[in-house]
Amino acid sequence: MSSAITGQWQEAMHLDDLWEGEMEGVEIDGKKVLLVNIDGEVRAYKNRCPHQAWALDEGDFDGQTITCVRHMWTFDALSGKGTNPDNCELITYPCRVEEDGTILVDVR
Amino acid sequence: MSTRRHVLVGGGVAAAATATHLRKHGFDGEIVLVGDEPQPPYERPPLSKDFLLGTTEFEEFQVRPPAWYDEQSVDLRVGIRVTAIDVPGRSVTLSTGERLGYDGLVLATGVRPRRLPGFDGDRVHYLRTAADSQRLRAQLAESERVVVIGAGFIGCEVAAAAVGLGKQVTIFDPAPTPLARVLGATIGSVMTGIHRSRGVQIRAGEYISELRHTGDGMLLTSNLGHRVECDLVVVGIGCEPNVELAAEAGLATDGGIVVDEYGRTSAPDIYAAGDVAAQYHPVYGRTIRVEHHDNALRQGANVALNLTGSAEPFAEAHWFWSDQYEHSLQSVGRPADLEDLVIRGSLEDHDFSAFSLVDGRIQAVISLNRPRDVLEVRRMLFAPHEVTAEQLRDESVPLKRLIPRSPWATARA
Ligand SMILES: Cc1cc2nc3c(=O)[nH]c(=O)nc-3n(C[C@H](O)[C@H](O)[C@H](O)COP(=O)(O)OP(=O)(O)OC[C@H]3O[C@@H](n4cnc5c(N)ncnc54)[C@H](O)[C@@H]3O)c2cc1C
Ligand code: FES
Repeated sequence: MSSAITGQWQEAMHLDDLWEGEMEGVEIDGKKVLLVNIDGEVRAYKNRCPHQAWALDEGDFDGQTITCVRHMWTFDALSGKGTNPDNCELITYPCRVEEDGTILVDVR
Repeated sequence: MSTRRHVLVGGGVAAAATATHLRKHGFDGEIVLVGDEPQPPYERPPLSKDFLLGTTEFEEFQVRPPAWYDEQSVDLRVGIRVTAIDVPGRSVTLSTGERLGYDGLVLATGVRPRRLPGFDGDRVHYLRTAADSQRLRAQLAESERVVVIGAGFIGCEVAAAAVGLGKQVTIFDPAPTPLARVLGATIGSVMTGIHRSRGVQIRAGEYISELRHTGDGMLLTSNLGHRVECDLVVVGIGCEPNVELAAEAGLATDGGIVVDEYGRTSAPDIYAAGDVAAQYHPVYGRTIRVEHHDNALRQGANVALNLTGSAEPFAEAHWFWSDQYEHSLQSVGRPADLEDLVIRGSLEDHDFSAFSLVDGRIQAVISLNRPRDVLEVRRMLFAPHEVTAEQLRDESVPLKRLIPRSPWATARA
């Protein structure tokens, strides 16, 4: 599930603070957002597990897979798709990285 | 040439996982899934938690939406029992009288609650199915005084849910410490403390010996002669595996349907998975039956692998959770001695991991509100490692650091 791009980009973080293989929970405009750096590709997801809304930044990211530690559901970090179980999906926010490394997210 | 057909018996998560993974591994023959409950496969954990509280609806914990079975050409027969297996004839008989031939047969018949003789009636509950949970939910709404018999996971979870609904709850259990059988006395005491602080009365070392229905409720008498009036009773005293179908067909059973590490029963092309399966575990070198959601899913998936020709032994670590109030209790592995645990964190603060450690190797961890520790341990449980009790206790050292993930990681650390 993705929300539409509204063009309301907001600064979320700097790429220097989100290394490859890392994820970080941030708050943007009152919304909890999970930022993930997958081999240089940055993604922004709603920081809530689709299962029972647990905060995903308390979980684990091994470079490829995000694991929610509450009941160990797993998600592909690039696509946000559930891998186990495979019939769920993270909520995606549009996200891009500026040339200077600023990570912008559109949560509207 | 006729197409191949696999028949999956039991409509739980194990059978559903087999169906899913058969298709994933490219099996394009017939899959028939026969379950005696009226609904397609669903997850049971919410039945004693959110579903009782009314914070989740049935549709949310179905394993697959009903349309999925059509899309995947899975012939779903709900509300139907398999009544007999003809091993030499390679067929099963259904409660409709129909006979179905099979190339592969998977028995995932699960377990049923153990019943207390004489404890029956309108206001006495056993909890296994969505129908059980619906009935309990409806009656809880009009009850005040709830008695739970048996302080196992289900009893404790129901107690937590009932308290959440504002009910007055008493738990009886003959053991001196609730949950000690599965968690040990130390953690059992912590959980007891949590329930007491929420207003649950815990009557440990005491059991109900008699139940009498009165005009508007029930009168219970304990072994100590105490009398308790209540509106509703929930019995949670463990389960019995549904082995009869297998046993009558002559398959080996021993407190479960006995299977090897590939999920194979004693009969050709018949497999068993999930709560009903007593499986040989190659790491432990013995046969073990577990009643946990994750294990049922993984065994179900593993059987699909073996049915599609790639023999893969099932050698996974056993992992489970139990959510009570806002607390997350989790465990992975098999503790060697529940009374000999190394504690990391604080029992008082309900924030700890308790390790079973033998000769520098972690056998298991039981965590309260530290699911991350469980994840770390799950990754390395069966991998080579060596840690001391001091290291585990020392919270300044992250667990991840203690546990070499690979030789490369050790070299770098
Ligand atoms: C209330 C409750 C809460 C739980 N909470 C947790 C939890 O928090 N964490 C956890 O890890 N585990 C939990 N569990 C355990 C978990 O639900 C089980 O491990 C899991 O359901 C096992 O799946 P299964 O497919 O092996 O068997 P089951 O789910 O029992 O499914 C077997 C199905 O087969 C049907 N069947 C039996 N015989 C036949 C036949 N002859 N023909 C057709 N159908 C048949 C049964 O009626 C049943 O529908 C809980 C269980 C319950 C009941
Ligand atoms: S809340 Fe994330 S797996 Fe259950």
